[in-house]
Amino acid sequence: ADAVPIQKVEINNEVALARIRESMQLDPSIPWTETLAVSYPHTIDADVNDDLNRELAFYKQALHSASHAKSLAAKSYPNFPWTRPNDYFAEMVKTDVHMERIRQRLLDEKAGIKKSE
Amino acid sequence: QTQVAIPVAKKRKNKQRVLLLSSRGVTHRMRHLMNDIEVLLPHVKKDSKLDSKSQLHLLPELADLNNCNNTLYFEARRHEDLYLWAAKMPNGPSIKMHVQNVHTMDELKMTGNCLKGSRGLLSFDKSFDDTEWGKLTKELFTHIFGVPPTARKAKPFVDHILTFSIVDQKIWFRNFQIIEKDPLVANGAPQTTLVEIGPRFVLTPIRIFEGAFGGATVYSNPEFISPTAVRTAIRKEHSKKYNVRKN
Repeated sequence: ADAVPIQKVEINNEVALARIRESMQLDPSIPWTETLAVSYPHTIDADVNDDLNRELAFYKQALHSASHAKSLAAKSYPNFPWTRPNDYFAEMVKTDVHMERIRQRLLDEKAGIKKSE
Repeated sequence: QTQVAIPVAKKRKNKQRVLLLSSRGVTHRMRHLMNDIEVLLPHVKKDSKLDSKSQLHLLPELADLNNCNNTLYFEARRHEDLYLWAAKMPNGPSIKMHVQNVHTMDELKMTGNCLKGSRGLLSFDKSFDDTEWGKLTKELFTHIFGVPPTARKAKPFVDHILTFSIVDQKIWFRNFQIIEKDPLVANGAPQTTLVEIGPRFVLTPIRIFEGAFGGATVYSNPEFISPTAVRTAIRKEHSKKYNVRKN
């Protein structure tokens, strides 16, 4: 027997969505440095199944946003700490042991390529 | 978002704290993803697993006990499907999403690194502003993933960026390290390059509720098919083959 396709009800209550957003919204007058959020002025049109171009599009978005944010910070907050000084050491997200493994893997890969040449 | 001139006298703060917890039955990969998020967001308070999957109404209470005004709740189903609830406490809204394509920071392919506790930039692509649900999601994600400068464990300096992009009706998450390198040619301005840190995941919005873990549905994604339904369909397809052969 043919399965009866279940008709899904779409709900998109835009009025309620807008109302909820306004009720929770951050005060628009707070300085930008409180959130560090930026918008990318383009949509991502890459094909989802094309890994390379998709990731490239994400990279472009991040790069654009990073430089935009940097200029925002420099323009309005002269003392905003952006670049980490070379003598500032602190715990990192990935441990030294983990980074060493990543380095080793890169070296191994390089060696493998050389061997096959 | 553009900045507004700020009067020095009245300084408004962005006060956010996020409760992070999961249900029972998370696999190691899901747990590692949670740890990655915890390590990236210094304003996160991690709590122990929630005992019951049907008692989501306990979550607002838990958030209140921990002084959190946001919650990220990972719900594991059947030891393979992962759902993420992102909710504003105590009055909502909450967004339920399906998590797919998870890559954690442990993978050796992502070579970036950043300070533990540094505040990440947030980047949203234009599609978020095209729909009402997108705008709401953007606002909520700004609260949850934006590290407030007053977070106790936050460190100064900006060295990574979290990007959210909508492609194919799904939200793609990436995290890049920002490297300011002096170009090889002398006396040029430092050049910005990016290296991916991880984690990676894709979120499919399923529903948006008005309240915190409950309330009226204000948005539902008609294109979402539950992973169980997908598996059932595949199994049916297989059995069809057998039935045809048998007859």
